[in-house]
This record gives sequence, C-alpha cells and structure tokens, in this order.
Amino acid sequence: MTPGATTTDGRGGGGSRAAATPAPSPAPAPAPARPRRRAGRSAPYLFVLPALLLFAAFKLYPIAWSFLLGLHRTVGGTETFVGADNYVRLADDPLFWTALRNTGVILAVQVPLMLALATGLAVALDSTLLRGRPVFRLGFFLPMVTGLVAYGIVFSVLLNEEYGLVNWLFGLVGVDPVPWLTEGMWARISLGLALTWHYTGYNAVILLARLQTIPAELYDAAAVDGAGALNAFRHVTLPGLRPALLLTTVLSTIGTLQLFDEPYVLTGGGPDNATLTIGVYLYRNAFTYFDFGYASAIAYALTVLVGVLGLIQFRLLGEKS
Amino acid sequence: MTDQQSGRQPGRRQVLRGGGALAAAGLGGLGLTGLATLTGCSGSGGTGAGGSAGDPRKGRITVWSWQGPATELKALIPEFNKTYPDIQVTVEDIGNPAIWDKITAGLAAGGQGLADVLHIGVDYLPGYVERFPGGLADLAPLGATAHKDAFAAGLWQTVSPDGKRVNALPWEANSAGFYYRADLFEKAGVDVGALQTWDETIEAGKQLKARTGAHLLGIDKPASQPDAANFFQMLLQLQGAFYFDLEGRITLDSPEAVRAMTLIKTMNDAGLVSNLAGGWNALMSSLKRGTAAVLPWPTWFGGIIEEQVPGEAGKWKVRLPPAVRRGGPTAATVNSTHLAVAGSSKHQAAAWSFVEFALTRPASQVRIYRGKGIAPALLKAYDDSVFHEPSAFFSGQRKGEIFLDALKAPSPAVNYTADYARALKLVTDAQSKVLLKGADPAKVLAEAASELARQTGRKNVR
Repeated sequence: MTPGATTTDGRGGGGSRAAATPAPSPAPAPAPARPRRRAGRSAPYLFVLPALLLFAAFKLYPIAWSFLLGLHRTVGGTETFVGADNYVRLADDPLFWTALRNTGVILAVQVPLMLALATGLAVALDSTLLRGRPVFRLGFFLPMVTGLVAYGIVFSVLLNEEYGLVNWLFGLVGVDPVPWLTEGMWARISLGLALTWHYTGYNAVILLARLQTIPAELYDAAAVDGAGALNAFRHVTLPGLRPALLLTTVLSTIGTLQLFDEPYVLTGGGPDNATLTIGVYLYRNAFTYFDFGYASAIAYALTVLVGVLGLIQFRLLGEKS
Repeated sequence: MTDQQSGRQPGRRQVLRGGGALAAAGLGGLGLTGLATLTGCSGSGGTGAGGSAGDPRKGRITVWSWQGPATELKALIPEFNKTYPDIQVTVEDIGNPAIWDKITAGLAAGGQGLADVLHIGVDYLPGYVERFPGGLADLAPLGATAHKDAFAAGLWQTVSPDGKRVNALPWEANSAGFYYRADLFEKAGVDVGALQTWDETIEAGKQLKARTGAHLLGIDKPASQPDAANFFQMLLQLQGAFYFDLEGRITLDSPEAVRAMTLIKTMNDAGLVSNLAGGWNALMSSLKRGTAAVLPWPTWFGGIIEEQVPGEAGKWKVRLPPAVRRGGPTAATVNSTHLAVAGSSKHQAAAWSFVEFALTRPASQVRIYRGKGIAPALLKAYDDSVFHEPSAFFSGQRKGEIFLDALKAPSPAVNYTADYARALKLVTDAQSKVLLKGADPAKVLAEAASELARQTGRKNVR
C-alpha cells in the first residue's frame, strides 16, 4: 500500500501528508506551513492534557502510592518500612489462599456457565421466531441496572434457610429446606446464582450486538452447503462471536477476580470463609483491621493475577482469527 | 475496524497493552486508588493531641452518630443552646455500620472531612486510638478527668487506658440481659427465675422444646454478621474473660473460652439453637414469629422487643443471665459506646462543651433514656424515677433496676485492643465450624488463637 493511495479524500496519515501533496499546484510558502505543523502536533496533546492530568492525579499517583504502602506496616501509628514483608506474609496466609481458591472456583465454574447461557440467550433474542424481542431484551438487561446492594439483600432474603421464599416454595412441593447460605457448597452456589442473574443479560446484550453484525449471506451459504442449525451455529455464529466472546470473557474474569459486593452483602464471606473473595479480604484488611500496607500488598497480588490471566486469555482467544 | 476484519492478529505490543489496561482496571475497579489516596495521609492523624482548640462557648460543630442515638442528640440541641447560645450544633445520622467506614476513612485521611464529635463503639475505639494517634483529641486538658468516677465500673479504663489521656467519654453501658417469653416457659412448666446456671438452662430448654416446639435461643450460625459472636462473648464476659488479657496477650483458647463454646455446642447438639443466618433481619423475623424463647441480648435490646412485638406486652420478662459456673457472676457490661472529639476539629473546646452537656448531666441522659431506652453509663442518671418504674411490657418488672444492679456489680475492664476485629472474625469462623460442622470447641479455638498470634504478632497465653 503506497502512501498516496490513502489520500484520495485528502485525509492521509500525518507522517505522509507532505509526500501526498499534489505536485501540480503552486508550492505554498514553506514558512507559514511550519508553525501550522507545530501547532498541529501540539494540539492533540493539549486536548488530552486535562484527561492526562486527572489520570495522573487520581490513578497513577494512588497506584504508585499504593505500591509504596505495600512496603510499609503501621506500627504504633507510624508507617514503618518493612520491605517485602507484606508479600512474604501473603504467601504464608491461609486466608489469602482460601480467598484465592474461592475466587478461582467461581471463575472456573460460574463464568463459563454464565457465558454459555448468555450466548444461548443472545441467539434466542436475535431469533425472528421470538415475538416481543425488545421486551425480552429489556427484561434480561434489567438486573444489570439493579443496585448491587439492593439485589444482594433481596437474594439473602429469598435464600434464607428458615424464612426465605425459595425454601418456602420448596416446602410446598415436599422438598427439604436447602441450606443456601449456611453451608459452604450451597453458599458458593447461591453466590453463583446471584452473579448469573445479575450479569447474564449484560453479557447477552454485548454478544447480541456482535451477532447482528454477522452477514446473513454466511448463513445462506451454510444452508446451501447443507448445514443444519447446529452446524451453522458452530461454523458461522461462534466464529463470528469470537471478538465479543473474548471481550465478555476478559470482562467477566476481571469482574470475578475483583468480586466484592455480592459476597459482602449475601454471605459476608462465610460460612467459615467459603465465599471469602480476594476483594472482601482486601477490604477487611484495609477498613476493618486498618492494615493498609497489607491490603495494598493484596491489591498488587491481585493486579498481577488479573494481568496474567488477561494475557493468557488474549493469547488463547484473541490470536485465532 | 477490528483486528479480525482487517485480517491482522494482535501483536505482542497490543497484548501487553491489553495486559496493562487490565492491570490498571484491576486497581481502579477495586477502589484501590481511593484506598491509596486515603492512606497517603495516614499516620499523622491531625492536630489534636492537645485537645484545647477554640472557644468553649462559641463555634459551629457537627456530630456523627446513627439512627436512634442521633435522634436523641438532635432533641438535646434546643436545651443545649439555652446554655450555649453561640454554639451551632448539627447532628448527622450516618447510620450503623456505615459510620465506621466513614470515620476510618476520615482518620486515615488525617482527619479530613471528619465531624467534630464522633459516636464510637467500644469495639472500634481502641483500634482508632492505636492506628491513628492524634486522630481523636485528648479530652483530659478540657476537663474530662473530673468525671472519672461518674461512670459505671470498668468504663473509665476503656476510655483512658493509661489513666492520663482521655480518648472519649462513656455514653451507653449495656449489661448482659436475658429476655424471655414467660408464657412459653410457663407452658413448659419451667420456673425461669430459679435457673442458676446455663447447664440448668439447657435442661430447661429441652423441656421447652419438647412441650412448645420453641428453640431455647437463636444464633447466626454461618456468622453472616460479626454480631454472631455476641452470645459467645457474653458467656466469656460472665466469666470475667475476653479474647485478650489486660496486657494485650491472646486468651482466645482459655479454659473459659472453651467452656463457653462447649455450652453453645451442647445447646446446638440438643437441637435448641435456631439458625439466624442473615443476621439482623433473621433475628427480627424470629422475634416476630416467636421461634426462640430467650433473647440473650444486652440492655438496649429491650426497646427493640417492645418496638417489634408490641402485641406481646405482658408475655415477656427479663432477668440477668444465669451464671456459667454455679455461684459465678451473672452481671457483665458487654458493650459501651462513647462520644469522642476529632483531633482535627477546629472547635474542640466547643465540641467538648456539647459532649459534657450530653453525657455528664443526668437530665440529658434521662431524656435520652425516655426517648430511645438507651442505658446511660452515667450512674447518677439512675436516681431518676424513670429507671425505677414498673414496665407494662415486661410484666410489671422494674427493668431499669435489674440492669442498674448489673452496672453496679464488679465488672472487670475489657481490653478490646486494636486487633479486636481480627479476633472477632476468627471467633465467628470457629463458632461456625462448631455449629455447622460439629467441630471440637477446644480444637477450633486453639487454631483461632494460633492464627491470631500469627496475624498480629501478639503473644498467646494458654
């Protein structure tokens, strides 16, 4: 591709503008062109400067300070430098590993299930066989706009073992009460249910948007080749959805690793730490135990984890086109 | 144009950029930036070691409290302004537990944005004092020491551990109580007044369950809220024990603690403990449905019962809890709240004027007690007849006198330390293991004590 080829509308790349200037026209005086070019160069920086300053003040500075904080411990009210002690402590902290394991279980079980459900839902919501599609789309997206704490409280009331609506309904059909929030495994299932209810519609909407960009001709071609619904889904829909699936997977992974609101409201991390997540543990160390240095160390461990998992997902899902 | 449409694959740089963005998102999403910003200023804790700023008769002050107490403090303002017309007071109901996060954030930010007067529970006070030196003003130079002997036993040591610096002034003093459904026990043929120990109470509970179907009491078994350990803590304090001794050493697996947890296990194994999973809401549902006959809660809970089940007037009675060991104490001050002045306040002297007016004048405390049933630590307040009137709700009993007796009884000071929150978490986990998995009390408490020692560096006394 030559530089000139991009300039048919006169909007070539910045670096190739001079080369693409049409030769026959009288050459403009070089002197005024220079300041204009300089101004052209600095203008974008000036435009992004406010955002950059805000980013530096409210993101970069705290991120750097948080790192420093992770190397300190509060002793007698003063910050004392302890080097990597907080990280060593982290490696030897059974509760941190419990939180990591719980988060990992949710990530491995809930996220794939939810995304499979969201994919099915997106296909269903895209189907012309479904009447009143906007109503369904709205219905499935509504949980996303529900306040996190509000829905957490609603779920905790619904799932209460003795007084909850769900167990009351189970009782009507002769099913024994389920210890939704009082037994480790069921508490994790309850958490998974709440998360799935909340985020499936959101992911389905992202997938749906992508689904609608897949050309109908591809399905026609598949039909001509004799592909049934299943084969069309496998060979046309799924490959077409790949970028959206990557996006939803990465977003869900980050969201799960930072999971805080639901376990905090629904189970408080219990019973016996069965639903303790890294987010809840971090929060507790900072705001309940006032151990800000240790909380910062947990945050950095989490950041590394998010980065590594993000990279892995980009490699696994992103590079195949 | 996406990478796929253009037929390009994401290069290494893009992948790294993606990873970087994720890492930033990891920090940002958790509100860590906020955490770091807050803690960036921590340690200094404001200006106020001296506790003498401003004019005691002039200024504009803000008070942070929660729900009922905030309402009562607001109601005091007109009277306060008769004596202090130039002090403008604004009381804000921050809500409980939201207030703890808000105070923590303010203290961590060097006192920025804090109110002048802070209402603080005994479970948070030592932590704030230790982690944020100077975050709370020293009230001694303002004249607090003059009130040293005015409060219930043990409370002065809580607000002034070294006997010199005064971090706050006591407000509420809640004694361990034993609220019970007299009608249910009567139906079961149990004379509750004659129960001397918890062992006897467990036997009575079995009879109660068999004849009425009601549980003896309820506990939030999976520990949805830290309150889940209240009953365990009460049993500990009835033996004069706690999670830490006065030197701050860990006593979480002391014989007293094992005894308390064993009692809870015995009750649970006998099917006498209803599950209050979900915390407060479940407790209120249980109260309304009458699923448990005993509510082993402190003084302030009487007002909640009256409010929640007004139709059950005359069915309820109250007494002090049975002893853990025969002949042992039946009184314990299980919690207290306090008013402190922020070290960063520019009107410390005016704030102190308000604190002193609210907490050391019997008239103020009597008014608050009439309004919300909040039991004062100020012993002189109990001279008022309101504490000696028979209660129609509690079957004509003189409830105020019952708790006054408890407040007057010898009550050892309790050392919550700055690590109370960590200890409480380990205790609630241990209790959940006992209640939900039938774990051995001695074993889980020993594990909890070791873990607490590891996390805090404190010595474990066994």
